[in-house]
Amino acid sequence: MKKALAVALSLTMVFTMAGCGSKKETKETEAKTEAAKATEAGVETEAGTEKTTSEDVKNVVYLVNGNLGDKSFFDSAKAGLDALVEAGRITLNTVEMGGTDADQPKWLQTLYEVADSEEYDLIVCGTYQMPDYLKEVATAYPDQKFLIFDDDTYAGENDNVVNIVFKQNDLGYIVGTFAGLMTLDTSVDRINEDKVIGFVGGYDSPVINDFMDGYITGAQAVDPDIKVDVRYTSDYVDTAKAKEYGISMVNDSKCDIIWGVAGNAGNGAAEAVLETNGGWFIGVDSDQELTLSDELAAITLTSGLKNVGNSLIWFFDEWDAGNDLFGQRVSLGIVEGGVGIVTDKNYDTYASDDVKAAVDAAIEEVSNGDIVVPSAFDEGGNEAAQELRDSVRP
Amino acid sequence: MNIFTTDFFFSIIRIATPILLATLAAVIGEKGGVSNIGLEGIMMMSALFGSLTAYWTGSWAVGLLAAMAVGLLEALLMGFFAFKLKTDIILVGTAVNMIGSGGTIFLVKVITNATMGKSLTSTTSLITKSLQVPSWNIPLIKDIPVIGKVISGHSLLTYIAFLLVFLTGVLLYKTPLGLNIRSVGENPNAASSVGVSVSRVRYITIGIGGVLAGLGGAYMSMYYAMGWSLDMVAGRGFIALAAQSMGGGEPIGSMLAALIFGFAQALGIKVSATGVDSNLVAPIPYIVTILSLVVFALNQRRVEKRRHASALK
Repeated sequence: MKKALAVALSLTMVFTMAGCGSKKETKETEAKTEAAKATEAGVETEAGTEKTTSEDVKNVVYLVNGNLGDKSFFDSAKAGLDALVEAGRITLNTVEMGGTDADQPKWLQTLYEVADSEEYDLIVCGTYQMPDYLKEVATAYPDQKFLIFDDDTYAGENDNVVNIVFKQNDLGYIVGTFAGLMTLDTSVDRINEDKVIGFVGGYDSPVINDFMDGYITGAQAVDPDIKVDVRYTSDYVDTAKAKEYGISMVNDSKCDIIWGVAGNAGNGAAEAVLETNGGWFIGVDSDQELTLSDELAAITLTSGLKNVGNSLIWFFDEWDAGNDLFGQRVSLGIVEGGVGIVTDKNYDTYASDDVKAAVDAAIEEVSNGDIVVPSAFDEGGNEAAQELRDSVRP
Repeated sequence: MNIFTTDFFFSIIRIATPILLATLAAVIGEKGGVSNIGLEGIMMMSALFGSLTAYWTGSWAVGLLAAMAVGLLEALLMGFFAFKLKTDIILVGTAVNMIGSGGTIFLVKVITNATMGKSLTSTTSLITKSLQVPSWNIPLIKDIPVIGKVISGHSLLTYIAFLLVFLTGVLLYKTPLGLNIRSVGENPNAASSVGVSVSRVRYITIGIGGVLAGLGGAYMSMYYAMGWSLDMVAGRGFIALAAQSMGGGEPIGSMLAALIFGFAQALGIKVSATGVDSNLVAPIPYIVTILSLVVFALNQRRVEKRRHASALK
């Protein structure tokens, strides 16, 4: 009896654990049948701005190397794909593979499985954690098409893979311009006399430094005297550590605006600002005023957006229009809707008309190429970004 | 820039608190012969349920109790697997740590989906200042220059943590239960032969550890950060294991070890302001660990040698 109980209990434990990371497949069968009906009737369906014949409804699988509900990357991609499903342009199968170290072995296996099934016209995945797995599978299945967003590690090496990356340097420039203008406007609550703004990054790596590069360049374009305090948490999960950095930035460097670019940990900077009554926070990736608690949202001026979803819709527009981008590195900026800045809520309330006009002008200049923002991804760009960072330290 | 300001010393205590709470759990555990490497996982689970309960009930105190209860339950469950079903306790601890990461995100999505109709992946949006464990400005002491600024104004949990250092010492060395815990830890067979229920003592040992780790988890999600987010404990439960061994397994020593970790991280944060490469700043706590362990080992050896020498006389 006892033994049986023991076995039963350990089995439960094993299954609970397996359950935690197991694939949760959501088949959008409804969409599929609708799409099929549409095909029969030969009707044209609308999606976004583009019109497309429903004959080329594409079967897409979206592999999430984490969990949905991050209110950021993964959700944004899902939202874009969902919009395409609704428009009848694709069918979608989403697989949540889990994001912990223990889940990692599953990523490669799942990639192999979906590639081998030959069910899909396109396999979508993203983030810097996937390229090694993707390269292996893409090489083994040259006829299968793949899309990876926010990574360009092996861009161009496989003809069946398209790398979509975002011009976070452009985004950084806009946010930097805005932060620079705001720190000068001492009539705004909690903006101090010191011309110092802050940046909390995840790692001292090209991706993060690309944001930072633009941020500093933008702020310096407003006023060359503006100093930027840059710290790295060397971590994307330790909110408390980011908070310690934030407190030090407010107390030691007199920062009054901090941009948090460190995943979940970045919110720690917002908490530091709230606790020290030190000024304002700027969010990243998604509109964080919507996801933070009321108190934190109240001190969040704006968020720099990476619109993964928009970029996927853009990609399908191009693909359906006959523009084959596979085998390329596609860099999306403001024009394509790949990046942007939140301009309603607190931005609208606290930014003066002059500031808004100046930010709009900066967006315009970056969009039409009048201003070319340096990038940490350029040859020697990361080193240049680090030098720039060291030169503007408060 | 002057590094050694009052807020530097204040931050040492703030950083050391969660480590200290988990370290005390490890101290009691090791004394009782229970190597609980699942402290990290327990802290994550408690952090989650503490913040959720605080939100549901609108009271930080109830949230704190829930965090302790969850810590206790999880520890007892570990005990059940380890003592009753004879699973290797290290494996049980590993399982608890994995559940602390993958299981919490699973649970928070299921629970918030059931209670609020939308699945959240963190409780950051739920915790407001009023749901955080309050900080306490100690009367009189707060007016003392310098010292007041360092000692006063911490979270209630910080003062509880330092009080618990003292209580842990009393428990281990001044009570019958403490004697039982230590004897079971030293030699379970001998303890058993004089009528001590070894398994009961072990359950109590791991249970106390669970409650302490639960407090540490609550500190993380209900004071240090606002709300729980995935993997937010970020290794503090493991650092506690190192602090326990650095402190020679004694409450006071372990408290000092936890403070050394706090010092190391606080130093890293201040040093980063001067523009030192973040890749050099990040490992400071670990370098301090290694150095401290070396110092500790050398000290132990000297003590041993002296003891041998005096024994020969």
